[in-house]
Amino acid sequence: MNSEPNVRPDPFTIEVIRNALTAIAEEMSLVIMRSARSPLLREAGDLSSALTDAEGGLIAQGRDIPAHLGIMGSTVQEFLKRVPKERLQPGDVWFLNLPEVGGNHLPDVKAIRPVFAEGAVQAFAVCLAHWADIGGARPGSYVPDARDAWQEGLRISPLRVFTAEGTDHEKLEIILSNVRGREEREGDILAQMAATRSADERLQELFASYGAATVQAAIADIHDQSERQMRAAIREIPDGEYFGEDFLDHDGIDDHPIGVRVRVTIKGDAATFDFRETDDAAKGPLNATPFTAGASVFYAMKAIAGPDIQPNAGCGRPLKVITRPGSLVNPPYSRPVVGGNHETSQRMVDAIFKALEAVVPERLSAGGSTTSGLLLFGGTDPRTGKWTTLYEVHAGGEGARAERDGGPTARPHMSNVMNTPAEIIEAFYPIRIERQALRHGSGGQGRHHGGPGQERHYRILAPEMSMTSMVERCVIPPYGLQGGAPGNPSRSLWNGRMANAGRYPARPM
Amino acid sequence: MGKVLSQTDPVAGIIAACGSVGLELSDVSDIMHGTTMATNAIVEGRLAPIALIATEGFAEVLDIGRQNRRELYKMAVTPRPDPLVPRNRRLEARQRTDAQGAEITALTGAEIARLAREVKALGVESVAVSLIHSYLNGDHETRIGRGLEGVVPFVALSHQLNPEPREYERTNSTAMNAALMPLVARYLKRLVDRLGSQTGLHMFHSAGGMASADSISSRPLALALSGPAAGVAAAASVARRLNLDRVISFDMGGTTTDVSVIVDGKVQIDSNQRMAGYPIRQMMVAVETIGAGGGSIARRDGTAVRVGPDSAGANPGPACYGLGGTQPTVADANIILGYIESGRELGGTVRLDIKKAEAAFAPLAKAFGTSIHDAALGVRRVANANMARALRRVTVEHGVDARACTLLAFGGAGPMHAVSLAREFGIQNVVVPRFSSAFSAFGCMTAEMSYAEQRPLHLQSGVWSANDLSETAARMAERLTDPLLKSGCARDRLRVEVAGLLRYTGQSDAVEVPLAAPYDLAAVDTAFKAIHQRLYGFATDEAWEVDTLRVTVSAPPKQDVSALATDAAGTATEPVAIRKCWFEGGSELDTPYFDRDQLPVDWKIAGPAIIEDAWSTIIVDPGATAWVDAHAHLHIAVEAGRK
Repeated sequence: MNSEPNVRPDPFTIEVIRNALTAIAEEMSLVIMRSARSPLLREAGDLSSALTDAEGGLIAQGRDIPAHLGIMGSTVQEFLKRVPKERLQPGDVWFLNLPEVGGNHLPDVKAIRPVFAEGAVQAFAVCLAHWADIGGARPGSYVPDARDAWQEGLRISPLRVFTAEGTDHEKLEIILSNVRGREEREGDILAQMAATRSADERLQELFASYGAATVQAAIADIHDQSERQMRAAIREIPDGEYFGEDFLDHDGIDDHPIGVRVRVTIKGDAATFDFRETDDAAKGPLNATPFTAGASVFYAMKAIAGPDIQPNAGCGRPLKVITRPGSLVNPPYSRPVVGGNHETSQRMVDAIFKALEAVVPERLSAGGSTTSGLLLFGGTDPRTGKWTTLYEVHAGGEGARAERDGGPTARPHMSNVMNTPAEIIEAFYPIRIERQALRHGSGGQGRHHGGPGQERHYRILAPEMSMTSMVERCVIPPYGLQGGAPGNPSRSLWNGRMANAGRYPARPM
Repeated sequence: MGKVLSQTDPVAGIIAACGSVGLELSDVSDIMHGTTMATNAIVEGRLAPIALIATEGFAEVLDIGRQNRRELYKMAVTPRPDPLVPRNRRLEARQRTDAQGAEITALTGAEIARLAREVKALGVESVAVSLIHSYLNGDHETRIGRGLEGVVPFVALSHQLNPEPREYERTNSTAMNAALMPLVARYLKRLVDRLGSQTGLHMFHSAGGMASADSISSRPLALALSGPAAGVAAAASVARRLNLDRVISFDMGGTTTDVSVIVDGKVQIDSNQRMAGYPIRQMMVAVETIGAGGGSIARRDGTAVRVGPDSAGANPGPACYGLGGTQPTVADANIILGYIESGRELGGTVRLDIKKAEAAFAPLAKAFGTSIHDAALGVRRVANANMARALRRVTVEHGVDARACTLLAFGGAGPMHAVSLAREFGIQNVVVPRFSSAFSAFGCMTAEMSYAEQRPLHLQSGVWSANDLSETAARMAERLTDPLLKSGCARDRLRVEVAGLLRYTGQSDAVEVPLAAPYDLAAVDTAFKAIHQRLYGFATDEAWEVDTLRVTVSAPPKQDVSALATDAAGTATEPVAIRKCWFEGGSELDTPYFDRDQLPVDWKIAGPAIIEDAWSTIIVDPGATAWVDAHAHLHIAVEAGRK
């Protein structure tokens, strides 16, 4: 094969390598989903996998969750600022979750493995898994009234937990000593490690058969392809400056909506997303990192302009994201962020859609349940004496589209986590699901209707169990587009009474 | 071998097939019956209207599903298919069982009577009953089923069909089964009545074995993948005969390619698949189907090239068919490269035309500044890369190192791509079996008569009982043995295999571990951990459980394959033609063509060579060596590594 440097491989070889790289990323998710032990991973699939180049440019990803996938590249880039390449060794697996290191929130723990060939780091395999508990003030590590980052759990700066020699047990023990449900977490860590190892082996084969120079040239070309396609797609959107805003209900501490605002400038084949008019950083945990802002922009533009473009760092090149330090989407690192990952990120997407309603309304779906609708239960199962944490997301109906009604209960946009079946919940947690049904007519009315949302009734069977909720779109309902009516807001009821506008526990309102 | 065209009435087809080889139905001792009846009904949505009875509060599980979407970055998400049962035909039963199988809300006789009345009013023929936690305690479903006797002819109970947790998947599977019952059960009744009691009828099911007409009548869902399963079973029988312990079956057709793994002569089972967008949980061969085949279209996408997923299909077909296709396809690449003779007739209606293929490829070659031959070679490589992804997925799923596998190629296009695909993948052996393109029928005939069943066991390593396991396995084996004895198999020739699906407590997917008496805990523990280590790269000392018990009883095939094969071995060793072909590396080589039916046993040739039979074309690339074995299977040794 061609291993001369600086020679562009033929388009057929590039396509063969592109296929191989995507297969490797997909295989990582396959490995972790099959071997993980926490239901959040094995049942709900709250995980993602990706490959980046040696500088952290996204090469290929699995069919996972956009909120995760959008920060894989920045995680590696920021990781490399803390851990210089010279310190990396073949066989390393580094774990980290610090939001300020290119990340999103503490429960999403990333395993990063450098892949070596011909004596140098050629790529990184990254496997992100949402741990059902990362320690902190409340079981499940969601603290709706948290006021600082340390209440949210264990903060893992880049930590080499595995080397070619095996497991670093002391480091593993520090992690396991600071999270609830240590057996389950240990299983998840091993599954993440196994996923990165399979990617390492496959990449080694690829580098061996084509030579590193050819593979790197192919990767550069794959990035260029996506960039060209994204630029062409942006060119089809009329030039101009478009403003959109949407609001979060409240931050769990202060009782007022928080504005997320974006100015989208389309100019030729490039687009700028300026979030500087967004409100200041929140006291409560709805802050989002600038990396999450980047993920929201990446998702929104791919969805609007290029659903079929191979997602990689090339797509991001024509996109510029501006955030204001001190704002909700670029907060001081001491602020809590746990909900920003899936609530504020969706609101940024909503704001972008509202901005572009002026020019591409036919491409958009009306606002769906852009909240994770989170309920977390933690406690000891009296049947086994073991600690359990259930983390469950609840989808609402899909927003209506120009050509059809929205469908029932679908996870929109940045999220794509499955529900946990009632039978699995009842088998593994001291909880009974008494009813799960559609909320008929809850979608917004219009020429086409929004899809119906759902209701699910939980009964706690343990003498004591904690519950946390983080549900948005309780005050500000899902929006209609082009004159359609808004959908019904979300509601959480606690023994028949309204809980605090989607947050429990929270300060009385 | 006799073959008749499909008849509108399959019963008439069977009688005609017997007639074509001079047999009366009464002369036939056993019929191995594969069918696409259920598959087609599912894919085309021709399903009987049914009612569903669910636990109170759970009738809308079918709408809610698992709430995820398949397309990540597409706002115009493809809507999920409509639920199998419309809302007005779903009833809720007042009853409840908990996660330990204990009744917490009783099911009263009055409630059963009410449900029966309402079902009657709906006017359906078939009812699915799927209650929460019925996989632990099926009593309520059984009682509702009894209550429906005389009300509707067909009832499917979820705890019998799919005794596993996850209400959405189980309810869907049960509903699908109920919706197939009227069609399949009536057909089988008609067939059995016609056959009488002298002929054994063995239905070829999706897991690659047989089942009695009786059991299929109540579980027609077991036929969902009957067709592909026959191909894989045939591959397994060839694997056993040739003593190949790791085989990838590679069935490449015009628009799709099926890939499957065979380990130690056994097909691999995946009980969690989807058809037509619906989850189907049944024992089915683990087949990875990808939308790529000989008809896949190559197109330029900016500076990049893509092959598929669009296909020229059968109409208009590849450009070389001359039926109006103008886009370059994989088949066109093969004719341009000289692998298929221009002018050859296909099925009497199509005459292959290389000029049309070249015209279709010209714009692609021009855009990339390559010759037409290099473009054709490139398209083949990209098509092979698509295949390689499917190969990768099936081998990863089953923890098998693909490089240690033999690639068993069949289907119309499989033998044309097998050698280059093998080389790309680091596979060193390819086998193109006899009858490679009529392989499914061959599979039904030569497969072992085998009956299999799986039941939940939930046996924890901490409270191990070899006795329980042994008794359950023996009971299952006895049930499975019955139809084999009835069809005249000798009991002492039957082989009973027991396997457990084991997982760490709390883990989702289980791994299959062969089990044998005396079911010693330490031995099972060692075997499980070794397999877990192989599949996932780690094993711990945590508690595990035998989630499900799988028992297979098989009898050796009545059909002697070697007899079928040797009479076809010929004596001609000279090529029928020499033509120019192009291979990787761009070299144009004089390539001998051989007629496969004329080749003698032990004949051997080094590539390049093309070997043709009535059904397919086998490409032996330069550097590869082909030889014919005593059963007329063609073996090809591929040189190690990439070129």
